[in-house]
Amino acid sequence: MKPMREVAIVGIGQHPWGQFPEKSMQEMGVEAIVAALKDANMNWRDIESAAFGGYMWIADRGGIPALLMGTSLARLMGETGIPMVNCVNACASGQAILREAVLAVASGHADTAIAVAADKSAGGFFRPQLRDAAPAKFDKGGFNDTDYIRFCMTGETNPAYWAMELQRRMYDVGTTDETLAYAKHITSVGAVNNPYARYQKVFTMDEIKASKYVAEPLRLFEICATSDGAGAVIVTTMENAKKYTKKPLHVKAITVGTPTFGDPTIRLTFCSSYPRPGVPDLSESRNAIKVLYKNSGLQPGDIDIIELPDNSSWHYLVYLECILGLKQGEADKMLMSGKVHPIDGDLPVCSGGGVAAQGEAVVAQGLSQVCQLVRQMRGECGKGQVKKTKLINGLAQTYGYAGNNAACILTKAW
Amino acid sequence: MAKKQVPLIGGLFTWPADKPQLLASKCKKCGAYFFPTVPFCGNPDCPKDKANMEVVPLSNTGKLYSYTIHTAQPAAPFKMDPFKPYGVAMVDVAEGMRVLGMTTTTEGLKIGQQLEMTVGRLYEDAENEYITWMWKPVGK
Repeated sequence: MKPMREVAIVGIGQHPWGQFPEKSMQEMGVEAIVAALKDANMNWRDIESAAFGGYMWIADRGGIPALLMGTSLARLMGETGIPMVNCVNACASGQAILREAVLAVASGHADTAIAVAADKSAGGFFRPQLRDAAPAKFDKGGFNDTDYIRFCMTGETNPAYWAMELQRRMYDVGTTDETLAYAKHITSVGAVNNPYARYQKVFTMDEIKASKYVAEPLRLFEICATSDGAGAVIVTTMENAKKYTKKPLHVKAITVGTPTFGDPTIRLTFCSSYPRPGVPDLSESRNAIKVLYKNSGLQPGDIDIIELPDNSSWHYLVYLECILGLKQGEADKMLMSGKVHPIDGDLPVCSGGGVAAQGEAVVAQGLSQVCQLVRQMRGECGKGQVKKTKLINGLAQTYGYAGNNAACILTKAW
Repeated sequence: MAKKQVPLIGGLFTWPADKPQLLASKCKKCGAYFFPTVPFCGNPDCPKDKANMEVVPLSNTGKLYSYTIHTAQPAAPFKMDPFKPYGVAMVDVAEGMRVLGMTTTTEGLKIGQQLEMTVGRLYEDAENEYITWMWKPVGK
């Protein structure tokens, strides 16, 4: 096999996160693509390969065109005949499609590639998509839709699952209500000067602790909302990168994580697990991080800035531990120490407010994290710029349904 | 006359039964369990042979691994009428599986306590009462 080429990010575009009932997903997607092209000083015809996030809630809105987002967006951007793939890896889709774009360039298949995702997830709990009144007539394997079964038969929503993991963590290592509220409070400080965040305000400790339980012990303000959003990221070879930008970011490592058999986690959309000795929980997330460090040759101590998936305050803590290789419980102390303050910290985490301030736009979420890392590492965040000046390596990880994970490390290349 | 109790989705647990049990698949080769049932063993080292899989009822008692009290009302297709806050639990059963299920109570749940499986009502129509499996603290 030929050696792979090194790849860099040269353009980013993002539609703000929030609720935009007046726009279609495709309109938001076009805005993100146009912004990314402008950022990279490119035209649409310069793009040689493309990967798109496939929208998940197509029975509720969007329909098949939102699943087949590539050609649906090309209808608006203009059809240029390039390879396009659509990928659905739940909330990890954004970074999964970025990996596709990176691989297309690394392999020599294309010199420029784009990853695009647009999403309208706003509107409460995620829910099963089965709508066929008589599925058994065609699908005798109906028990495969464990998502439908867990939702209707056990009432397990996403926050219910997170709350159960959190309840156990409180029992095992004594995580407190105070720590959970602080995770939300401190990330919200980063959102104040992030024009792409949905909630650009500081949530006070009192207001967080006064918010009602959705699934005890998780409170409303400790769980991310659902949002609309869109993002686009353009990559090219390291060799060509300086033609398009003064500040290319080398994609040092990017991967997709899936679970190991015997993981004790009852993953979202599943009804059971069969825990095996020696297999850790959240194995899909740990597998992804292991690959990142192996492929980059870096270690946790080399990481200067992190975007982690704080879908809830529980996620904040477990993903800080997952990314930095900490023991269970150590994230609580690190959070309270101020080291991971989004703006002032020695190791800024979720500098733009994280998923908590954005609300989750499922398939676009990973691209939003990458866009935020790129803006910080280029020093473009204005009042929201982190105080730390040494930003060599940045890490972003997304958490997804059903054991889907993705993560990347970006390295300053100028 | 009492309405007929019908599982909302059939085939997930033994019914009618005095002591209902979840129905799982067991691999005769490696001993792994799966719930709900599966056509093939999910162990990557096992052959994908349907003949290796048998349907077995799981223990109807278990230990509470964790739980939550869900106070918000989920959207359709979830249906509980009338709605009231409910417990959801992860329960470790003797076969080495961890399974989900609602709890019969929202009061006094404690990690590590013994639970037994029963059924509970989600909603009813003119003819039937629709039920699911639920976990109940032993002796309560």
